Amino acid sequence: MKKSFTGFNMCSTLALLGLLAVSNTASAQACAPKVAATELVKPGTLVMSTNPTLPPMQFVDSAGVLKGMRITLGDEIAKRLCLKSEYIKIEFSAMVPGLQAGRWDVINTGIFWTEERAKLMQMIQYEAQAMSISVSKGNPLKISKPEDLAGRTVGVELGGFEERKLKELDESLKAKGLKPINIRTFDNFATAYQALRAGQTEASVSIDSTAAEYAKRGEFDRAISGMFATPVALAMKSPALAKAIEGVFNEMQKDGSYAKLMSEYGLLANKDPIKINGPTK
Amino acid sequence: MKAWDWNGFFEYLINPYLLQGALVTLGLTIAAVAGGLVVGGLLSLMRLSSFKSLVLISKAYLWVFRGTPLLVQLIIIYTGLPQLGIKFSVMESALLGLILNEAAYMSEIIRGGILGVSPGQSSAARALGLNSFQTMLHVVLPQAIRIIIPALGNSINGLLKTTSVTSVISMEELLRKTQILIQEKFMVLELFAVAALYYLLLTSLWDIVQRRIEARYGKAYKSISISEGH
Repeated sequence: MKKSFTGFNMCSTLALLGLLAVSNTASAQACAPKVAATELVKPGTLVMSTNPTLPPMQFVDSAGVLKGMRITLGDEIAKRLCLKSEYIKIEFSAMVPGLQAGRWDVINTGIFWTEERAKLMQMIQYEAQAMSISVSKGNPLKISKPEDLAGRTVGVELGGFEERKLKELDESLKAKGLKPINIRTFDNFATAYQALRAGQTEASVSIDSTAAEYAKRGEFDRAISGMFATPVALAMKSPALAKAIEGVFNEMQKDGSYAKLMSEYGLLANKDPIKINGPTK
Repeated sequence: MKAWDWNGFFEYLINPYLLQGALVTLGLTIAAVAGGLVVGGLLSLMRLSSFKSLVLISKAYLWVFRGTPLLVQLIIIYTGLPQLGIKFSVMESALLGLILNEAAYMSEIIRGGILGVSPGQSSAARALGLNSFQTMLHVVLPQAIRIIIPALGNSINGLLKTTSVTSVISMEELLRKTQILIQEKFMVLELFAVAALYYLLLTSLWDIVQRRIEARYGKAYKSISISEGH
């Protein structure tokens, strides 16, 4: 009886210690947000805008669940900042005005870095991307170089880097005396690709990763890739938030998780430390 | 982010690209009204005819085209029909969608106007030996027009703004052109204020035209409405 009493004591002590240990780790996980509530649109939350029409970077599955590299990245950054991640699905054309109007903290949609955008927002380049041209399966029009787009109907998402570059390409073709491109703008990439599938357009513009994914799925062929290679970024309004996110990226570069995520999606990882490339005071 | 940029506002006000968009909007509206009136008129006559099959077809048409959103109809015409091998261009799809949709609403307005003409008029016309076609053309319709105009004018006013929905199928009318320009310098408020002004200009112009038409068709009733113990 004495033995069992001691045994019971030991068990309960161990149980108590165990409970303390568990509660300690629990309180360590419920960490304090590393970004002040004044710098955020919603305290304790990292609100990110995204346009889930670009598989495999950002898309929704058949159950409507947000998935993709940018979502994984966003979740990881929020976690390391001890914030809850929240996504607002919206068209790209509404994102920059929305950021300026304080509707979200971060634009996490693979926004290309450009000089004028860097004057308006804090930007952190982290992903190497480029523009691609998708065509119907089998590439019936035999498009293999940018000049082949002359006189063709090409669909593109409204208001983005791709639209601007397509217009520049159009100008350069016209300067060479070739026929202009019939550019059709759609609300987002998904509707642009729908138009391609319906045969309403002869080609559709996208980013390398997405065009490759569609080619892999066998739905469209990737006719041209690697055009206008430019880094893609996260964009923020608050300098303090940008500094915090820059810190997270550097952390991720040090512990190898950044390189791992990039290689998972076949992307080149930045060798140099990731830093903010935004408005200069 | 500046609160309001007057320079930007005035620059965009005289921007030829936006003006083009406004003209496209106007063109779409005029085409949709013309087509809508023709098809709508046909539908209302079918609805009022004595042939059961015509009435049924008209009712079915109204049911479908008033029962689904214009947006859905446009997307089906532009992106859906090609799956069945029927492909319309952007302009054709936009016009088809607008006309077919507007025709449904216009036919009800026209029918309402025709019903609003006292049945005594058509009885008297038939008694005088006019056949139903002549009755409709010379007696009923001229009187129905006066009743139709306010509701029709309302519909046309709405159509001017509804054309913005065609931007979804990449039609470059005023709204789409405004959205494209925003990406330049992100002067959202200034640009949309300009777009709103253009829409206002177009609807106001239509208001003036509508008032003129009402005055012309209401000539017979003018003295009655004004006088009174004079």
